[in-house]
Amino acid sequence: MAKILIVEDEQHQRELYALELQDEGHAIDQASNGKEAVDMVKANKYDLVIMDIRMPEMDGIEALGKILSKDKKIPIIIYTAYSNYKSNFMTWTADAYLTKSSNLDELKNKIREILASRSIA
Amino acid sequence: MKNWIYRGLFFFSPDILFAFFVAYLLFIPDVKAEILGTVAVGLAVMIATRALFHKLGRRFFYGRRIDAIRNILDGYKKGRFIVANPELSGSDDLSRIYRELLTLGKHLSSIINTQKIEIEKFQDLYNSIVFSLSTYYMILNDEDKIVFANSGLCEKFHFDQNEIVNKRIDEIFYFVNRRLIDGIRQVRRYENSVVLEKTHLLSIKKVSIIADIKISTMMIQGKKLEIVIIDDVTNKLQKDYQISLMSQISESIQKDDEIDQILHTILTGVTSGAGLGFNRAMLFLVDGKGENLAGKMAVGPDSFDEAIYIWSSIAAGNMKDDGTGIEKRKSGAELLEKVLNAQFSLEEDSIFSRVMKNMKYVHIMDLWGAEDIGIEIKTLIDVMEFVIVPLVAVNRAIGVIVADNKFNKAPIGKGDIELLSIFASQAALSIENYVRLDTVRNEMRKIGERQEAIVESEKLAAIGRISAHIAHEIRNPLVTMGGYARRIQQLAKEREKEKTKESSGIRDAAKIILSESERLEKILSNVMDFTRPARYLREFNSLNDVIIDTVNLLKNLLLEKKVALELNLENDMPLVKCDFNQMKQVILNLLQNSVDVMPSGGTVAITTKSVDQSAVIKVKDTGSGIDSEDQAAVFEPFFTTKVTGVGLGLAIVKKIIKDHGGDITVRNMPEGGCEFTITMPVPS
Repeated sequence: MAKILIVEDEQHQRELYALELQDEGHAIDQASNGKEAVDMVKANKYDLVIMDIRMPEMDGIEALGKILSKDKKIPIIIYTAYSNYKSNFMTWTADAYLTKSSNLDELKNKIREILASRSIA
Repeated sequence: MKNWIYRGLFFFSPDILFAFFVAYLLFIPDVKAEILGTVAVGLAVMIATRALFHKLGRRFFYGRRIDAIRNILDGYKKGRFIVANPELSGSDDLSRIYRELLTLGKHLSSIINTQKIEIEKFQDLYNSIVFSLSTYYMILNDEDKIVFANSGLCEKFHFDQNEIVNKRIDEIFYFVNRRLIDGIRQVRRYENSVVLEKTHLLSIKKVSIIADIKISTMMIQGKKLEIVIIDDVTNKLQKDYQISLMSQISESIQKDDEIDQILHTILTGVTSGAGLGFNRAMLFLVDGKGENLAGKMAVGPDSFDEAIYIWSSIAAGNMKDDGTGIEKRKSGAELLEKVLNAQFSLEEDSIFSRVMKNMKYVHIMDLWGAEDIGIEIKTLIDVMEFVIVPLVAVNRAIGVIVADNKFNKAPIGKGDIELLSIFASQAALSIENYVRLDTVRNEMRKIGERQEAIVESEKLAAIGRISAHIAHEIRNPLVTMGGYARRIQQLAKEREKEKTKESSGIRDAAKIILSESERLEKILSNVMDFTRPARYLREFNSLNDVIIDTVNLLKNLLLEKKVALELNLENDMPLVKCDFNQMKQVILNLLQNSVDVMPSGGTVAITTKSVDQSAVIKVKDTGSGIDSEDQAAVFEPFFTTKVTGVGLGLAIVKKIIKDHGGDITVRNMPEGGCEFTITMPVPS
């Protein structure tokens, strides 16, 4: 069981992820933009952050930098509809870069993979 | 006062006194009879005396004065108004009349003298006007014979003024225009005047001009004569013609005419009577390498008879030489052939290479006597006097024009050469312009091709931007929808344990939503792949490796679709600088396409080989081929003949190949199916 922060501006999508991941047995917090996410990371300890990129107020790239400056070791998965941010070097600091799909299996597998490697370490 | 004395005397003249005496005697009866006889005698005496008095007395009294006056009048009749020594100094009436006559004579004489001077002055002026005009005239009688020709005319046409008198006009001009003859007849018949514009005249001395001819009739000493005034307009016309010729040349350049046509137009300008009026002209141009001077065009008759024929046809009213160009070319076939076969090296010293080098004309007066002209050139030109003028275009001689008067043997004047030089420099510019225009045209064509390529890629880019935007906008809601559908499906599955009809219905519906949203997602990811800005890794890769890698990925698909695979890979293929994954995408899409066009199975053959500086991949299927009208469109984005599919597979292939500097084509095979050929550049 892990504590996961989902950062996603689309409410329905965010809630879907939350439902699916809760089914997996994780504890889920939600943030609707980068700014909220940074505040929440400051206030709480998360095992994993799932980060969208295109968001109002503060985008995922900026949030990524701020979260990493607070906690260098926090695992982050970028989960976005856009594949072109792959060329932005900031995204390279994330543990994974996945493109959105209605099938969440890929995301779930990645989460499992990352959490497993962390728990070993 | 003296008048009255004379009158008084006259009043008492002897015959009156005698009459008084007779009248007295008649009153005496005795002597009446005697007297009647005496009266008769007396009357007779009186009449005789009176007659005598009249005859002699007048002569006696006035004789000298009357004679003097008569002399004066006789002088006047003869036009002499001055009398040297006045004879009469008397104070009587006649003497006074005489003196008045003398004064009048002096007066008249001075008037006449002043008028004579005026007339002479006017005549001088008139003569100088007449002679300074470039007008020549001759007077013809009713047999068309020349009665008089002015010296200007004789000078112009090299006639002897005395020799031509009494000759018919067709004896002194080579051919007499129908217009001229008709004009003279018309004037003779209707006594009006006629103007014949721009008539060509060629004298037996071979002087040729173009003139406006005015014919009118006049009466001289009761005879009707025609005056023919010839106004030489050759120079004026030459200038007009040159201007029109130059515009004609530039027009024909714009009309994209053949260079031959332009050169011919130029030489027509040199030879036509209205142009520079040379008999023959030849044109030589430097070849591409600048080593040789090659004959390009010639205009001019081959013989004197031909020359006469051409001149007469021009004189027949064909002033403008548009149709006659071909005619002339035909007539000068021999000369043209000789010139076209002529070629002279510019490295060797010859009269041509000298003109080209010095960029200055050469005027040869005696060809056969000139020692510095080679025999080859001598036989080609074959005329005593000629001129070679360089065609100079912006400080560079691009050729020469040779002009001569072979047939009328007219000497080539300095003015002629100057005109020819000016003309040649304009012609040279025209030729140079044509050559440049040709180069520009080629460049334009290349640019056009490049532009098409740019437009194509711009089109793709625009489609890319639009579809990228749409794709991303659609993807988010789609992902959400699909996610929930999946969730519904999942939930329904769990409830299935309860085995309700309701739950299976929900599950089926969710399944449909899911499959459809998955399909949409797949399309979107294709579009996004296509529109993703290209950032290629450029590494040296073996195309064979790319193919083997891709084929391995698709093994199962091919098996499933009953598609057999043939690989003919050349062993030592050169490495190609490319993005390995992108090239994999290319092969993948092509194989996918092959599988799609062979729904009931078939064979795909992939061949590689190296050709010159490129690596070639051929992908051949055994499908139904491409309809001819679709061949150009198969690489267009969103073009598809399949029921499912976005129509981006081949567009992506083309984009990747083009981005790599390669090329892709497709053709139908005679045995059926089609073959894609990819050509990738190999760095040297």
